[in-house]
Amino acid sequence: MKNNILLLIFISFSTLLFSQEKSVISDLDELKLDIGQIYKPTTYSVDNQGKKYDCERVYYYYKKGAFSMTGKVMEFNRANGTIKAVEPGYHEVVAICYGSGKSIRRTFNVTINYPKVKSIDIITENESIYTDTYIPLSYKITDQMDVVRDIDYWKSDNAERYFSNLEFSINSSNDKLNIDDSNNVLAVKAGSATINVVFDGVKSSKTINIKKNPVTNINLSLQKPEKVRTGDVINLKADAYDKRGNLISNIKLKYSFTGKSFDKSNSASGLILQDGRFVGDVPGKYILTASFGNTSKSKIINVFQRKVQREVKKIGAGSVNDKHTSDFWVFEGVDKRDYAVTGTWGADGTAYFWDVTNPSDIKKIDSVQVDARTVNDVKVSPNGKIAIISREGASNRKNGIIIIDVTNPYDVKIIKEYTKNLTGGVHNLFIDEKHVYALSAGQKYYILNIEDPTNPIEVGMFELGKEGQAIHDVWVEDGIAYSSNWRDGVYLVDVGNGIAGGTPSNPVAFGNYTYDSGANHATFPFKSKSTGKFYAVMGDEIFPNGVNPNGTNETAGFLHFVDFSDVKNPVEIARYELPGHGSHNYWIDNDILYVGMYTGGVRIVDISGDLLGDLYKQGREIGYILTGTADGYIPNDTMVWGAQLYKGHVFYSDFNTGIGVAKVSDLKPNNSMTNQYVD
Amino acid sequence: MVRFILFFLVSNFVFSQSYFVYVASESDDTVSLLKFENNEINEVERITVGTYPTEIEGPHGITVDPNGKFWYLSLAHGNPFGKLVKYSTESNEVVDETTLGLFPASMQVSTTTGFLYCVNFNLHGSMKPSTVSVVDPVTMTEITTITTGSMPHGSRISPDGLFQYSVAMMSGELFEIDALGLEVNRTLDLENKMMKNDGMKSMDGMKSMDEMKSMDEMKSMDGMKHSMVKPTWVIPHPKQNLAYVAGNGSDEVIEVDLDAWKVSDRFKTGKGPYNLEISPDGKLLIGTIKSEGKTAIWNLDDKKLLGEIKNTTSVSHGIAISSDSKYAFISVEGIGGEPGIVDVISLENYQLISSIEVGKQAGGIAFWKQDNL
Repeated sequence: MKNNILLLIFISFSTLLFSQEKSVISDLDELKLDIGQIYKPTTYSVDNQGKKYDCERVYYYYKKGAFSMTGKVMEFNRANGTIKAVEPGYHEVVAICYGSGKSIRRTFNVTINYPKVKSIDIITENESIYTDTYIPLSYKITDQMDVVRDIDYWKSDNAERYFSNLEFSINSSNDKLNIDDSNNVLAVKAGSATINVVFDGVKSSKTINIKKNPVTNINLSLQKPEKVRTGDVINLKADAYDKRGNLISNIKLKYSFTGKSFDKSNSASGLILQDGRFVGDVPGKYILTASFGNTSKSKIINVFQRKVQREVKKIGAGSVNDKHTSDFWVFEGVDKRDYAVTGTWGADGTAYFWDVTNPSDIKKIDSVQVDARTVNDVKVSPNGKIAIISREGASNRKNGIIIIDVTNPYDVKIIKEYTKNLTGGVHNLFIDEKHVYALSAGQKYYILNIEDPTNPIEVGMFELGKEGQAIHDVWVEDGIAYSSNWRDGVYLVDVGNGIAGGTPSNPVAFGNYTYDSGANHATFPFKSKSTGKFYAVMGDEIFPNGVNPNGTNETAGFLHFVDFSDVKNPVEIARYELPGHGSHNYWIDNDILYVGMYTGGVRIVDISGDLLGDLYKQGREIGYILTGTADGYIPNDTMVWGAQLYKGHVFYSDFNTGIGVAKVSDLKPNNSMTNQYVD
Repeated sequence: MVRFILFFLVSNFVFSQSYFVYVASESDDTVSLLKFENNEINEVERITVGTYPTEIEGPHGITVDPNGKFWYLSLAHGNPFGKLVKYSTESNEVVDETTLGLFPASMQVSTTTGFLYCVNFNLHGSMKPSTVSVVDPVTMTEITTITTGSMPHGSRISPDGLFQYSVAMMSGELFEIDALGLEVNRTLDLENKMMKNDGMKSMDGMKSMDEMKSMDEMKSMDGMKHSMVKPTWVIPHPKQNLAYVAGNGSDEVIEVDLDAWKVSDRFKTGKGPYNLEISPDGKLLIGTIKSEGKTAIWNLDDKKLLGEIKNTTSVSHGIAISSDSKYAFISVEGIGGEPGIVDVISLENYQLISSIEVGKQAGGIAFWKQDNL
């Protein structure tokens, strides 16, 4: 009986619940709008009996949020209850029906139609078109709202995004062109032919004059060292000749390669550019080819191991194992001895000073503690007299910087706390002679004159001046400040170089480069000693899986080598990517890269010569060390923050162990203990 | 005998309550789940938050969904925008997140609209109006932003869920937002026109006075007024049409008559009142006196100070009150490498009962639930 009563109560309650369950109904469902169209949806709710209820209020919002919307996709007029179509595409719109103190919601798919195509221009890349060659086509589409889109079917993702649902067809007026299933156009006979295309019912044509392929012979030469190693960049030089032996100019030869690795279990790999540069990644035999139509010429080369590996040994360490260590700086003191300063992270605002004159006997000699939880960055003036440390997490939320007299590193003295415009936290800073460049709240950097370090004077400020501006680091060299601005990439700013008329009080940006990951965290300028080329080496910082509080954090990202020899046309040309490990801070000296790869340890990489492609795959790594220790803050967890070459020694700081030093020997790695030959 | 048994049962019931609180530690990127029972508070779990292991992302504001199933955390620092992250109370794992504005801080969910209203504090930004983000916590979408004043802080919802209140620390204004209409309803200037210049003091989190030259210059900088009251918190009364504002710069509590929309009273506090909460029974006002490391308790009937309790460490910050109005849980930041602390204060005898160390710079704190054992 008791059970029956309970059951009855349960059923009654359930019935009551279900009878009150309502759903949102709206004519937003599969709605199609034209750009600019304003629409007032009709939205209401129904219960599971089909009874209709008016909403006291209805809210509409774009599901990707107001932040990403910013008026670009849809606009909502809440007073009128209308939506306005702005950006073409498929969008999710949420309707909330509010009534009697309760809200119910549903997501609807709304399509904003692309405007009708108004006109099409067919673009051919080459002025002269020859038989037996493919014709790369692209299309300049102008829609009825006069928005112009460049569609390149050789970059299909672009075409896919905008026109995957539009009718497209292409044909030739005669058999002088052969168009395959993928819409590639091959010139097969000399003469005139017309390409006809139809986009969304709009037609366009272009007449092509096809010349007979005059190339009967190609002369291919290679500019290469006597012995080609992995990573060596070879320049292919090819000239085309007609049947009379005359040189043909104004044609673009195509460069390609095939190859076979010496190692049976590996595949040949490399990169060839259409300006004739080639690099082989792995040892093997490579066939390099220059071709035009059906005429080609090849050369075969052997690519041998680079063999730059050297023995790298840890020779000293200064342990910090009761808290995390952040950045560090090694410097020569006024007494000509060698010292270092290290910061601490998420701790008690301590910075440590070390005597590193004997790298195998690093001594902790002094410390300062400031009101902060993180001293993220530490720098020392070139004359060894002033150290500046950054503050984050100050208890009074006035972070700023602390200026320290380090003329006697055994007895350092705080001489100034400076917070003006820097209260939001200084993540990184850089000292360049008379000035310090200090980040402010991760959004901009201020430039302070520190000729009198007890009285810093703000002289300038640099920011991108855009909504959402963000900055992570700044580095100054030869009067140019390189700021790393996450998704906005690196900005080259004249702060005294003269290239753009800038000064510290009038910083002038003159160069910029961004890349897709948007993770630009640090930048180091690099003038190649061996080639004279100038690069900005841009580093990522990526934690693909966020924070792992219980173990090693997964890291990702790499160094992007961007050729800035022409500052107006920077070209990303190479990368250093260590599989499974992400980049952090680094140093370059004498064409050698010293990089803290977080969980991958300190890596030392040969970046001499011309650079192209994947530097890690090319065997350019000279050596590495892992820095986790059994008594580390997190035991045996390598997490290298950065590296600095100083007087021939590789110094580094590790998040879990403190400061350390290694030495790259002239000897090749000692393989006597390895088991590489197993019978 | 029956009386004895009844007494025993009632006593047992009274003393066998357990209370759960979440507290965010801004300089440790952690949130602690705390349990208070039998006059002792303990840490049940410490949850690491954020995305970057080597960057402090600054969990600042925290609130629990009225349904008790989720808690929401604002992360102040991003690149550059902060985040709102939704966690399950069952697992304390991330459910979803969305990007908000600069330095998102305090927030609350309206029981009526279901929306979450979070102020974008923009603590270190220029002196210009910032916003309140309105988030649909079901889809975790920021559906709109509402422009208010400079450095908005404190975000509390009226008992009927129809209005959101926040104060603009630098422009010294109280804002009332229509929680349904999603627009500013009313604005109130909180300055005391009778206040003398020496009422101005250095303030938390902004330029110190020595960096400012003169009164006139200060008031005209950036074309915006710079408040002497420096309000940091507002709490509407649960049963009356009144709200109470912490005047962090003027060392006072300001009572606002919400019907008349005017200041109805002011009373002095210790130095730097920061957060305020009212016990659910509407009888007590509790305030953190940040600069003195104290918690003050006033009787709201006569505004008399009932107790002023020294907190266990310095920099008193946030307040959460148990749903039975018996206990106040106070987050205290500490300085530098000191741990943050949560103090439990009896609202019956105004005594400190228990304390627990949590992560550094304990700030945002939220009451989750009260369980019978």
